Amino acid sequence: MFALIDCNNFYAACERLFEPRLEGVPVGVLSNNDGCVIARSEEFKALDIPMGIPTHKIDPTLRRRVVLKSSNYTLYGDLSARVQQVLAHQVPTLEPYSIDECFLDLRGLQEDWHALGARLVRSVAREVGLPVSIGIAPTRTLAKLANRQAKAQSTRPQVCVWQSANAPELAAHLARLSPREVWGVGERLNARLAGMGVLTAAALRETPDSELRRRFSVVLARTASELNGHPCLSMSDLETPRRSILCSRSFGRPLSDHAALAGALRHHCQRAGEKLRRDAMQASAIGVYLRTNPHHTGTFRHACEWTALPFPSADTQQLNRAAQRLLARLWQPAAYQKLGVMLAELTPRQQSQTTLFDGAEPARREALMEAWDAIRARYGRQALTLGPQPGDASWQMNSAYRSACYTTRWDELPRARAR
Amino acid sequence: MSMTPIALAASTSAPASSDTLPRGASGFPSPADDYREAPLDLHHHLVRRPASTFFMRLEGDDHRHAGLHHGDLLVIDRALSPRPGHWLVAAIDGELSVLRLERREAQLYLAPSRPGLATLPFEANDDRLWGVICYTIHALPAEGEQPAEPSCSR
Repeated sequence: MFALIDCNNFYAACERLFEPRLEGVPVGVLSNNDGCVIARSEEFKALDIPMGIPTHKIDPTLRRRVVLKSSNYTLYGDLSARVQQVLAHQVPTLEPYSIDECFLDLRGLQEDWHALGARLVRSVAREVGLPVSIGIAPTRTLAKLANRQAKAQSTRPQVCVWQSANAPELAAHLARLSPREVWGVGERLNARLAGMGVLTAAALRETPDSELRRRFSVVLARTASELNGHPCLSMSDLETPRRSILCSRSFGRPLSDHAALAGALRHHCQRAGEKLRRDAMQASAIGVYLRTNPHHTGTFRHACEWTALPFPSADTQQLNRAAQRLLARLWQPAAYQKLGVMLAELTPRQQSQTTLFDGAEPARREALMEAWDAIRARYGRQALTLGPQPGDASWQMNSAYRSACYTTRWDELPRARAR
Repeated sequence: MSMTPIALAASTSAPASSDTLPRGASGFPSPADDYREAPLDLHHHLVRRPASTFFMRLEGDDHRHAGLHHGDLLVIDRALSPRPGHWLVAAIDGELSVLRLERREAQLYLAPSRPGLATLPFEANDDRLWGVICYTIHALPAEGEQPAEPSCSR
């Protein structure tokens, strides 16, 4: 059996944990730069304010009734790790799937699944303070569907168990479900399935395996097999492995000055390098892109250029040198709104060589980067930077409504009032 | 009042490992190295369950009589079950609040210290409960000195 655990309205729930006054209030969470709504509480959804709506387009009368929060990934990331820790104490195998979802591999356990599900939901609610729902079924694909059913329940705890793929309530559910709702079936596949008369998930799982392989792909045949209760997909089948890294951000206000853009670029290179080293990867190619605001009048400019690195590297200075050369080539006077660094052709880091001349990162550069990461981890990200970082941080994010980093900064701890 | 001394290891900040052991001038390891142990880490003592432990700062001096002062650091473990005598963080009137859990006859109450505030009946699985305070950390500044707040970001 597999379980999928999903935190209900995760970002809004994180905001509420330290601000109890938000309980029952419509809460919306905004994207980087406060541009648009990316997460909503149930009360917010009930007001029919759609996902993705630009912040300035929210009706002013509704705007007064809701609370908007800038996204606070520091807080969400910490709470997400806590949820996983609580679960990992109770089940043998946990596979994180996203910031607010994880799969549990329950094979080999003999349990009352309802009781286990209820216990997990209660322990996360109690120990971390976040509401979660859980779906338990014979395969990951079915567990994901079961989780959606659990979320629709009005009773607590939200647990849905399909003991076997033949369970009558599961068969009835699949007969009403469009194939598009199944994990890994996108819009395009759905249209092609409809073309051959496969209109429901039930019909998909009854389609012969050989036909799915011939007309579609092995992966879709496996999906159908998963719907029949045979586990055959691993997470890596459905997730594209991390073959690229992107560090980009919109500016708080447009920037045109080359020096200011170079400062922002250094910042992104630092982050990209840290991500690479964290994953023990190295990149072979680097790209930089720049664009103006497409919604503003004036000439729209989007420029992007790539270059290969002299050898695969995870060295921040190496990345920055290549990126700055690209920026110098791309730059023309214009009011830029966004700048990004992309890394591609990532490969696992090779054993380092000892000289500069055999096409690999020299060991002393690796040691330098290790020291670099250690210093920034210990003394903060401002303690050591690649060249001066712009003091007024004009290119930094707008996050006017960000909550405190309640769990990661001493000077932002929540206050509890003596009564 | 009596105090029990606790042996504190030498002032190294990182746990000892074979890579970091200091060597004598001759380059040979010191014979004392065999007896070294990792230094005591106060965090491990105060935080038994990292996933469910949170820190907050106390606001207000109403509990001063009980030794809880404004500005004290509160260590809260949400995994603990509240029992009479515990100090709790609870969400009261939309605000994180600190009160004491008391039993009177068979009923549990959240008891405030501030005069004029009502005692609130407390139920099993009360959803106002946020967590149980397991430790407070109180700084002891000299006269006229501000209590030092931790300045590092980690």
